Amino acid sequence: MSLAITPGLDNTVERPGQRAPLVLGDSTYHSITESVSQIAERPPSRVWVVGFLVSAALASWLGICIGYLIYTGVGVWGNNSPVFWGWPIVNFVFWVGIGHAGTLISAILYLFRQDWRTSINRAAEAMTIFAVICAAIFPGIHVGRAWLAFWLAPYPSLNLWVWPQFRSPLLWDVFAVSTYGTVSLLFWYMGMIPDLATFRDRSRNKWRRMAYGVLSLGWSGSARHWMRYEKAYALLAALAAPLVLSVHTIVSFDFAVSQVPGWHTTIFPPYFVAGAIFSGFAMVLTLMVPARTIFSLEKLITIRHLENMCKIILATGTIVGLAYGTEFFIAWYGQVGEEKFAFINRALGPYWWAYWTMITCNVISPQLFWFKANRTIPWRIVVISIFVNIGMWFERFVIVITSLSRDYLPSAWAYFSPTWVDWSMLIGSFGLFFTLFLLFCRFMPVINMAEVKATLAGQLHHSQHGDI
Amino acid sequence: MTDTQEKKLHGVYAEFDAVDTLLAACRRVRDAGYTRTDAYTPFPVHGIEKALGIRPTALPWIVLGCGLTGSAVAICMQVWMNSINYPYIISGKPYFSIPAFIPVMFELTILLSAFGAFFGMLALNRLPKFSNPVFTNPRFDRATDDKFFLYIDASDQRFSHQGVTRLLGEIGGTEIQDVYEDNSSTRVPTAIKVVIGVLAFLAIVPLLSVARMRVTNSPNPRFHVFYDMDFSPAKEPQTISTLFADGRAMRPDVPGTVAVGQFDEDPNFYTGVDLEELARRDHDRAVRLVRALQDSEGGTAAPQPTQQLDDAPWLTENPRPLSLDLLERGRMKFEIYCAACHGNDGRGHGLVSARAQQILSTAWVQPSSLHQETLYQDVYPDGKLFSVISNGIRKMGGYASQISVRDRWAVVAYVRALQLSQNASLDDLPVNRRNDLSRRKAEVEQRLGEQAEAERRRAEEAAGAPAAAAEPAAQPEAAAEPAPPAEAAPEPAMQEQPAATEPAPATEPEPAAEPEVSPEPAPAEPEMAAEPAPAAEPEPAPAAEPETDPAPATAPEPAPASEPATAPEPAPATEPEPAPAPATEPEPGTEPEPATEPEPATEPAPATEPEPAPATEPEPAPATEPEAEPATEPEAEVSEPAA
Repeated sequence: MSLAITPGLDNTVERPGQRAPLVLGDSTYHSITESVSQIAERPPSRVWVVGFLVSAALASWLGICIGYLIYTGVGVWGNNSPVFWGWPIVNFVFWVGIGHAGTLISAILYLFRQDWRTSINRAAEAMTIFAVICAAIFPGIHVGRAWLAFWLAPYPSLNLWVWPQFRSPLLWDVFAVSTYGTVSLLFWYMGMIPDLATFRDRSRNKWRRMAYGVLSLGWSGSARHWMRYEKAYALLAALAAPLVLSVHTIVSFDFAVSQVPGWHTTIFPPYFVAGAIFSGFAMVLTLMVPARTIFSLEKLITIRHLENMCKIILATGTIVGLAYGTEFFIAWYGQVGEEKFAFINRALGPYWWAYWTMITCNVISPQLFWFKANRTIPWRIVVISIFVNIGMWFERFVIVITSLSRDYLPSAWAYFSPTWVDWSMLIGSFGLFFTLFLLFCRFMPVINMAEVKATLAGQLHHSQHGDI
Repeated sequence: MTDTQEKKLHGVYAEFDAVDTLLAACRRVRDAGYTRTDAYTPFPVHGIEKALGIRPTALPWIVLGCGLTGSAVAICMQVWMNSINYPYIISGKPYFSIPAFIPVMFELTILLSAFGAFFGMLALNRLPKFSNPVFTNPRFDRATDDKFFLYIDASDQRFSHQGVTRLLGEIGGTEIQDVYEDNSSTRVPTAIKVVIGVLAFLAIVPLLSVARMRVTNSPNPRFHVFYDMDFSPAKEPQTISTLFADGRAMRPDVPGTVAVGQFDEDPNFYTGVDLEELARRDHDRAVRLVRALQDSEGGTAAPQPTQQLDDAPWLTENPRPLSLDLLERGRMKFEIYCAACHGNDGRGHGLVSARAQQILSTAWVQPSSLHQETLYQDVYPDGKLFSVISNGIRKMGGYASQISVRDRWAVVAYVRALQLSQNASLDDLPVNRRNDLSRRKAEVEQRLGEQAEAERRRAEEAAGAPAAAAEPAAQPEAAAEPAPPAEAAPEPAMQEQPAATEPAPATEPEPAAEPEVSPEPAPAEPEMAAEPAPAAEPEPAPAAEPETDPAPATAPEPAPASEPATAPEPAPATEPEPAPAPATEPEPGTEPEPATEPEPATEPAPATEPEPAPATEPEPAPATEPEAEPATEPEAEVSEPAA
């Protein structure tokens, strides 16, 4: 099958001695401004409206289910002995993992001086924020008395007369996820200030100008301001890089610090982090590929960008596959009966169907990215990335559910089944995520125009001077 | 903007199309000596700081400071909350545990550093600043789009309007503009004010309601949003339930089940009976016993009187390996559960018994002395002793529900140690203890001598000479003779089990007291029998007090039945006991007899009456033992002649 890339837009070919262009098609600074701003300035397309209505409906359904849950109790879920952590925690870990790709693109690729990140980092960061919001809902409501969730905070309480327990990974989670959400929010917002100024300066409507004016804090583009801005950006990137690694590490500690067979293993922190990057990039691709077509951003989010992300998915997917094998090997090598059983039970026990779904989606499907056609044809990218997301959800499912349903005491074994509320909340959380993302696309600058212009400037500079 | 002369001039700027031209112009302006300059660009331009002479920022230091503050706050918070103010015991982990505190430290460091970076940047940039004179010109809107501006502020020392305008033109700038103060209205639109007002009002209302609630009282009961959480319908223990026929909310164990950890593969361990042997002899009985064991929740339920099998093939050996720890455990349990009646020395003069006799309880039966020969291991196997502890005998209740099965075997081992302790000779002691013993014996003798002297002097003054002569005469002898065996007695012959000396300290005071009390049941000293028991009772009491405080409590009456030499004595002195205690498994039919018969025959002060009779009874008793069923009948038979 021939590559269906428009000749003028194919920057996937590697030419030795020449840097591949990242901003394509005779773009100028103004064309970049126009391409990105018109998304927020023109009335929304039909695709956006339909997508928004569906997502908003699902998000509302999520809200209703949460109300029902708080009113009736956690018995509406399938959580029961021995699977006390059911889908709520699976969903929590799933969403937190997805969020990590945004910070990785923003921060870690920045530290690696990968300029191709500039056209995707804004949307990826937004995805991070929304994923963290979806994630944070689940621990908040699964505590049983959600209205007392503030007891997790270390405040001096005349009612409780106790402090939080800082040796518990569940409390570390509270600090980690809230720090991650806050820092990601700051990073995302700070990145948007210059672009919001652009929106402000292009606004014709008084209210619109006022709104964007407030949000852009009076940004004028002063070089002195830019200097401090760049310094803050670099510092935040340097802070966010270990943060993203630590957050999913701490989430993995929820499991690794316990004694449950299949959980109590030191491989979990790197394994979870690799899995998070893996699933996050898959979600970025799932969002970006349709978005670039719908919003006509092919010259800015080029095939090369997509291909780079596919390569990262291939790399992290291979790491995840290796981690599966390592876990299995260590279970055999350690010769602990319950640990060996846990892994055989995953593959051959009552949840074998979930396990093999996970293996197919996580180990086999990313390997398809070895082939260039699969990396550069958009619809193939979307299909594979959706499979990766499915596989990563199942990975969390397998880890949480199988280990709990059969642990040390056979008399306590039981099969877990989700209820309709479990299903509703999972689907509803996707609805919330897409609602927020579509709102972001409608009102906020989806691409970091300032950085892309800087990339273009560098590109022009290098092409003028004829050097690499 | 009609009257430009009155407006303040802030500066002048020029427009550029490309980065290169802007940079070149910046260098020219810098070289010309202007410092209060700035460039306005849609994106950060590489090299512009150098081109304009902008000095680096101190922001990184701010971030560092915030980060260190975050670390400090985190570690202080955690240490204060979890290590100092309210330490939790979590799986034995140390209160101050750096590894456990690191994740929160890390996160707070990052969080405060991020705050420092973001808010520090805004503060250093003096943002938000919504009103900026450069915005006045609509053409400046392209500064965030695709045009570059170079600006020279009027406050610069070298500023002159014409000079700057000319320079900007020379270095390639187009659209050179003056920047004037913007005098347009700063009035906030009404709509915004209204919205902000409404929001502020709405935000205050909940706070005011809460404040009002906190300072007022209400006649209404509190409203419970989740009534069934605040008043849970789940049943508490010891409450009634209408769901079950027996009306109990607490449910008993399912019959025929054994709780995890309660079952041992060896049912002999739980019964004290060799069940295979019993099954050979009497199959039905074995089946009943095993079934009873299963229903008794692993042997821990309240004991069943029907489980008393006196002719069962008892286990002759303690199934738990003997060790110091085992005896210590047994001692602990004995002193908790058994010593109340049987005394710390096992002689039957526990506090409960003392009280019962003090109030002249008619239903009381003297607890057995554990040092009767009929209770020795050869005739009273360990398994039978275990069964007695578990199920009780006669007036003694069973302790199956209070002492675990393993601990009951420990108590059995300890009782054997106790018995041996009263049956040992000086040669059974380790050599070093013998020297100790001799020394202490000498001390005790000396003290006794002094006491005797004091008594004699008092008696001489108070009573007549004969009485005074008789007592001191009797007492030193009694003091002398029982002293060596009494002293030896506490030192058990178990060289490897120094813990067994524990019974010695417990019993030592009593032997020391014995000299005073022994006059009556003195070993084979008939003249002692002459000493009236009533007289003996007050004597031991006052005489014993200085010596041994525990002794009066445990040996108020002359019933030192554990003296090995006093073979006849144990029988008489413990006559009420042989009947109740040793006859652990009398035939059900005969049970009442032994229990009751000796009682009328012997008074609570057994030393008196039984003495003449006791001298004879022990002989028939041992003689008849072989005939009777092992270890049971003799007591019954002993009581019969007594009766």
